[in-house]
Amino acid sequence: MKTIAIATNTFREAIRDRILYLILVFAILMIGSSRLLSLLTVGSEEKIVKDIGLASISLFGVATAIFVGVGLVFKEIEKRTVYTLVAKPIRRSQFILGKYLGLVLVLAVNVAVMTCFFYALLLAKGWMDFAITRAIVLIFVELMLVTAIAILFSAFSTPILSSLFTVTFYLIGHLSWGLLLLAEKLADGPGPAICRALYRILPNLDALNVKGMVVQGVEVPMTQVFYASLYGVSCTTIVLGLAVLVFRKRDFL
Amino acid sequence: MSWRRVLGPAALVASLVSAAWSWGHLETLRAKSATGAQVLYLPSGKYLRVTSMGFPEVMADLIYIWSIQFYGHYDTADRFKYLNHIYGNVISELDPHYIDPYLIGAMIMSMEAGDPEMALRLLDKGIAANPNEWILAFDAGFLCYDRLKDYPRAARYFEAAMRAPSVPSTVRRLHAEMYNKMGDKRASLEYWSEVQRGAETDYVHDVSAMHVHDLTIEVDLEALRGAVEAWRARHGSLPPDLRSLAAAGLVAREPVDPEGVPYLYDRRTGEVKSQSRFKLQRRQNR
Amino acid sequence: MPEPVLEIEGLRKTYKGHLSLTSREVIRGLDLKLEAGEVFGLLGQNGAGKTTTIKMILALIFPDAGKIRIFGQDHLGVKLRSKLGFLPENPWFYEYLTGREFLKFYGQLFGYSREERNRRAGETLEKVGMSTRADMPLRKYSKGMLQRIGMAQALLNDPELVILDEPMSGLDPIGRREFRDIILDLKARGRTVFFSSHILSDAEAICDRVGILKEGRIGLSGRLSDLLSPAVGSWELTYAGPAFDKLAPAGFQGGLISVRGPESLVRVDTEADLARLLDAVRAHGGSLISVAARRETLEDLYVREVAAR
Repeated sequence: MKTIAIATNTFREAIRDRILYLILVFAILMIGSSRLLSLLTVGSEEKIVKDIGLASISLFGVATAIFVGVGLVFKEIEKRTVYTLVAKPIRRSQFILGKYLGLVLVLAVNVAVMTCFFYALLLAKGWMDFAITRAIVLIFVELMLVTAIAILFSAFSTPILSSLFTVTFYLIGHLSWGLLLLAEKLADGPGPAICRALYRILPNLDALNVKGMVVQGVEVPMTQVFYASLYGVSCTTIVLGLAVLVFRKRDFL
Repeated sequence: MSWRRVLGPAALVASLVSAAWSWGHLETLRAKSATGAQVLYLPSGKYLRVTSMGFPEVMADLIYIWSIQFYGHYDTADRFKYLNHIYGNVISELDPHYIDPYLIGAMIMSMEAGDPEMALRLLDKGIAANPNEWILAFDAGFLCYDRLKDYPRAARYFEAAMRAPSVPSTVRRLHAEMYNKMGDKRASLEYWSEVQRGAETDYVHDVSAMHVHDLTIEVDLEALRGAVEAWRARHGSLPPDLRSLAAAGLVAREPVDPEGVPYLYDRRTGEVKSQSRFKLQRRQNR
Repeated sequence: MPEPVLEIEGLRKTYKGHLSLTSREVIRGLDLKLEAGEVFGLLGQNGAGKTTTIKMILALIFPDAGKIRIFGQDHLGVKLRSKLGFLPENPWFYEYLTGREFLKFYGQLFGYSREERNRRAGETLEKVGMSTRADMPLRKYSKGMLQRIGMAQALLNDPELVILDEPMSGLDPIGRREFRDIILDLKARGRTVFFSSHILSDAEAICDRVGILKEGRIGLSGRLSDLLSPAVGSWELTYAGPAFDKLAPAGFQGGLISVRGPESLVRVDTEADLARLLDAVRAHGGSLISVAARRETLEDLYVREVAAR
């Protein structure tokens, strides 16, 4: 299908982009150095390695999503490759969705490589716990959502602004529980209602964050994984829908 | 072509519905844990320091603020599980000189979680890091006095508190009173006398004077009673009066109470009583 | 009468500046009709709006008003693009693909099977003269090579309507000749070509019709043969001999164009002055090299049209 063709092309293009490898190298360095860090402490080695490992996969995944994602769409528009593409018998929606799929594929490879390295480290030390996979699955779902946001912003904005907006969105998504706290402290009136409404609307990225639980060995019930994944995928679809709408109406000056 | 047109909006609607539905379920799951429960899984403050990038105090502030909200919620299941970790391991490691968390933490630990020993350990930590903050030792002492009824321990804490500069008199007064509770009237009298001597306000002076008055009587009575027994042991009978006790060298001075009124002696029973009433309410029974 | 391949009516477009504080109306009511099988050249100054017009035709940007119909359908349709080919100005393609991979990828977008993709890629590469260099990554291509690959992707689907924006830019003289041949070949096979250019000699050589875009509208348009007066406008005389100012007859209408060594090239505006100059050259002992009648060129027409007002 045409969308798949674009996705494959995007994947090929991104895979050959050096920035990807830079990020990957940093990620692996980070995970490796956690082993060194843990040597400086007494006890809690396992927790530190696991904490840093999961954090690396998450953060570098987000970095890839933002920089490669924003860069790809921007480059395409800036360098006018999009002109000839749009003149072909494909819909603009196919274009943007294909781009997104290609990016998600890149991220999947990225996460897979980092995870393999991470797991290898854990297995070597005997700290392996397959429940960690649940956290990684949710990390990936979160990445899919962040990528969709990056694509949405880059459909109408410059790469610097898009990157900024996406990072902001990421931070807000993780701090949305603060809105609930705020709602309780504010005096009665519009304040709490606004906070609660915002909390409902803004995607809650923290719902996809079970890293802490997993490292502590607390069981993450499969129902939670299911609902969180469903939530993430649903939000992603909504964002992609918006991206398609924006992209469709856009002038390519 | 027409199914394509429907696909887009249909997918959007379906996504909105499923997002709302799954969100609802996630909220239910979340309510069972607590808002921002992620913080519970923080590593020890020693490691957290590294990530604070030079702002461990700010981090301590934020976590402390969070903890107040968290422990203010009474409906969270199992909420005391990480109590010691949060206050003892995280906040105090991030900012050992932040006093409030020690106090609040200890309060939650002793009053709500019902674990005063945990509270005392936390306070010990605070005292070790902040020897000049009298309030920490005072709090610990008060905990021992009020909850544990462990007066000697309380007294030790109050002493530690008193080593700090400019300690309010309450500490000294409680300290003095601990000895009374322990039954060591002499020590108590000594300390109360010190309080009286160093009293800076009329109120403190008056209160301590009352304690000194009553304690003097009690100490005297103790001594007199002891002397009576000594006499009885020596002579096989009760002494005729109190003056003879003084003459025999069994009491140090004239048996006169602080108001100058002699003590009453019943030579039939050997009981010694004071004529002056105790100034403090609770002692009327004696 | 068959439908026009491309029909534009009342097209308008305003560019809004940042924060909508300024705006510039670029296209102000443009009309155009393109019949099947003709080669049309859209001419105009830089910034006149040629590229804007082309982008609107291709639905890269959206007009504020007006109608565009391609093959009789609304220009926004997706299916009609399988009969369309487009080469933008200064094209750029995916850096890490080779030319051949790139064409095969675009072939996928037309829905061609693998054999078909390979075949078409090979054919178009051959046509643009890139067969031997098709397996280098695109980022290593020179401007001329990119232009050729661009033409290849525009012709990949053997389109009925080919739209080219400044197709000759970046090409060396041989490249330009080759592209001209490609366009003429398209015309010979009954395809319609629409291109914009500001290189008039190219347009003059290959167009059936031209339109001059000026102030947001197509002012002058029509067949070249209709627009250009067949009358001889002036002559160009080349002679060898003394400098022109020495032998120019009194009241001479015309002027020296250039000097090359002993030869001078002179423009003569009237037939009478032509005879007088010939006499003057012979009288001063010079010799006649050549005389050529000059008809009105497209350049004359263009300069006249654009400079007016």
